[in-house]
Amino acid sequence: MSRSPLPLLLDFDAQYQRDRDQTPAFLHRRDRRLALAREEAGAEPPSVAEWLHAVNAGHHDPAPLRRWRRATLAFTGAGAVLGVLTMLGLLYVTGPARINVTLFVALALLQLLLALATAGQALAGWRPWGGLFDRDRHGAPVLRQLQPQLAARAAQAGGLAFALTALATLLAQVLVRDLAFGWSTTLQTSAPAYQQLMDALAWPWRAWLPAAVPGPELVAQSRYFRLEGGTPADPALLGGWWPFLTLLWLCYVVLPRLALLALSRWHLNRRARRLLRDHPGYAALRERFATPWVDSGADEPPGPAPARVEDTPAPPPPDHAGTLIRWAGADHPALPQRPDRVLDAGGSASLEQDRDALNRADPERPVWLLVRAWEPPTGDLADFLDDARAHWGPDTVIALLPLTGDDPAALAPWRRFAARREDPALRLCAPPAPVSEEARP
Amino acid sequence: MTALPRFAVVGHPNKGKSSIVATLAQNDGIAIALEPGTTRDSQRYPLSVDGRPLYELIDTPGFQRPRKVLAWLQAHSASASDRPDTVRAFVTQHRDDPRFHDECELLTPILEGAGILYVVDGAVPYSPEQEAEMEILRWTGRPSLALINRIGEGDHLDDWRAALGQYFQIVRDFDAVHAPFETHLSLLRGFGQLAPEWEAPLEEAVGYLRDQRGHRQHRAMALIAEALTDMLLHVESARLADDANRDALEHDLARRWRDRQRQREQHLRRDVEALYQHRHLHRREQALDWQGGDLFSEQTRRAWGVSRAYLATAGFGAGALGGAGVDALAAGHSLGTGALIGGVLGAAGSLYYGEKYAGKLAALKLLAPLTGGGRRAEFGPVRDPQFGYVVLGRALEHWFQVSHRNHAGRDPLTLDQGDRHWLEQLPRGDRQRLQKALQNPPRHPGDGKRHQALEQAVENAGAAFLQWRSGNDDAE
Repeated sequence: MSRSPLPLLLDFDAQYQRDRDQTPAFLHRRDRRLALAREEAGAEPPSVAEWLHAVNAGHHDPAPLRRWRRATLAFTGAGAVLGVLTMLGLLYVTGPARINVTLFVALALLQLLLALATAGQALAGWRPWGGLFDRDRHGAPVLRQLQPQLAARAAQAGGLAFALTALATLLAQVLVRDLAFGWSTTLQTSAPAYQQLMDALAWPWRAWLPAAVPGPELVAQSRYFRLEGGTPADPALLGGWWPFLTLLWLCYVVLPRLALLALSRWHLNRRARRLLRDHPGYAALRERFATPWVDSGADEPPGPAPARVEDTPAPPPPDHAGTLIRWAGADHPALPQRPDRVLDAGGSASLEQDRDALNRADPERPVWLLVRAWEPPTGDLADFLDDARAHWGPDTVIALLPLTGDDPAALAPWRRFAARREDPALRLCAPPAPVSEEARP
Repeated sequence: MTALPRFAVVGHPNKGKSSIVATLAQNDGIAIALEPGTTRDSQRYPLSVDGRPLYELIDTPGFQRPRKVLAWLQAHSASASDRPDTVRAFVTQHRDDPRFHDECELLTPILEGAGILYVVDGAVPYSPEQEAEMEILRWTGRPSLALINRIGEGDHLDDWRAALGQYFQIVRDFDAVHAPFETHLSLLRGFGQLAPEWEAPLEEAVGYLRDQRGHRQHRAMALIAEALTDMLLHVESARLADDANRDALEHDLARRWRDRQRQREQHLRRDVEALYQHRHLHRREQALDWQGGDLFSEQTRRAWGVSRAYLATAGFGAGALGGAGVDALAAGHSLGTGALIGGVLGAAGSLYYGEKYAGKLAALKLLAPLTGGGRRAEFGPVRDPQFGYVVLGRALEHWFQVSHRNHAGRDPLTLDQGDRHWLEQLPRGDRQRLQKALQNPPRHPGDGKRHQALEQAVENAGAAFLQWRSGNDDAE
């Protein structure tokens, strides 16, 4: 899958910007999977184009380049029109008499100079007109780095259109009109010197097309002076300049523009490839391709939070309790109003001991059930409360006293536990006092 | 093909089973201290590499009625040889009994072949009340390992070790909240010792986890370098109307610039936390503060080790690096004059800018007039050479804490500004490269050379910071 480097770079950058909102885990899994699929097929890791096709279904957003496409079209159109107008102007401005060859040569060389300056500016990365584009803050940031090359491409395309339409206009005029060329200059120069200059300019073609090189006779006879106003000895001879001028325009304007347009395109693609290679997302992508994806199942959602219960202050335990049951070894030596009958259940006690505690407790008076708040309520305790209710009847008040130690938050599970029991005679009561060190393990 | 090693993490409720799974599975979303009594199923956390599972941790509910289960088993067993079958029979018999739902859930994976990881809390004294649980597990006949977790301040490890040694093949201490990464790996290797066929996959998993850690460190440094680039180059711009107040605009742009810098720093924090799979982290950190010049105070300079002397030295080195290029061009004929001149200029420049812009972040620049009136005004990029060091130091401290934080941790991550003389750990050459990279950050996304230089400088800084921080922790 081969794609032009510039759209590839833009699509890659856009995808990179989108990926910045994804988790690293997702990106690694996605890209490593693609690399593994290729590996299984015996192929190398995917290219950027293949990767983009896989993650983005080949979607390409033409918007970032639209502005430049329009600019290139505008330059080309303007160049084409200007080419016709300039050539017509050149052929007519000197009037019906003679068209000054010197002016024509100067225009061709100026075009060559402009083309070279444009290319040089792009190669040097100079952007004197950058302010025009910097106003557009919504364009792709990566395009800013390519402005010199994009501008050069547009300018060279415009210049080529200019050169081609100008050449076509020249040929059309040669065909339909009798053009009389001559040369004139204020400088003190002789015809042989001028001919030497023309001969030098014709070096690209003089070896294989000598007919298109102006001879000494043509040069000598076509010189004119504005104040002379005389006619040439042989008017037909003056038209003999056109092959030279056509090839001059072709070799010094059209072909350089064509070559420099190709160069600008090559330079643009090369720069885009380099930007892609140096893109911060590129190395990270290659790394994701090459690094095994270690998954510890961490993408699962967290467990649900426990239900909130009303955090009202727990009442004090009921007075005149007849029995204290120490559940799973919970104890409070300094418990005020400690009942006389103290029994043990739960924890390391056997089930028989639990039953014995139920039998020996006084169901006529409130029963205090001492528990460790930092040990969560278990099914064992729930069973014991079920058995107690079945054994003692529904009216015996059971006061659940959680020893909170130094962590009042430990009471929350006990609140929820008591609420779930839906037992009106089961009361969660405030712990008598902060538990002493010997009670808290 | 050998069966996948599976490990059921079992124990009494609230003894840290989930915190151990959270740490080993790198998942801070695992509910810790889920309330017993609420219906709960086993959760499986496989570790897979490129989709190929290497082992699986199973977080199970705690024992709810171990005495009743043991009584049932004892009542239905004739001899020691039928104990595993009796446990299986118990699960078959009580699968639909809600009272024994938790026991069935925790015993099922064990009966299916999982190894046993029995978790106790070493901060509370040993109590025989958990012997029923241990006895049930022994009845299953599966390979087992006991883990002594420490949830509180108490220390009863010796008692627990002695008691657990009677029931389990291997007894290990493991503080799920504070154990360093190497201890995680060592524990996983310990799991592999439970059965010969589990050793190879666990060893392989350890290798992958170690590589993953290295990869994450590299990515974290790249993220920090990226954020530094953004922050060092950030510019806020607006149109200054012809009749507008310049000072008011500068004030407004400076505020927006500061807000953007804070947002970018927070974005980096989230990126690094996501990289290490900390998705439920509560962070306490003083935001980048400029009010009253806090960020640029002498105290902050001291705190982050960026003194005038440091700037001058690093500036000299960075300048000398550039000057050495001139010497190289002169093929050594300049006798090192280029490096010397470059160094002096670098040091002078660092001192000059350090003084000139100390306490001043950036300045308002007015650009060419705009069509339709007014001028474009820009605030930034930052000019104070200290800024990069402060952002980098804060980022490295955050990275260190996140990368060394276990997923069982629930305390907020606190990032304070203590004394941070980590730069002293940085070799001289790396200091100079860091200074140069901070002075010349990448100008655009495609500025590969500078980007690489900054990333390398941050990578070196990260290694030095790690060394410094690890040394401090060891000293403590």
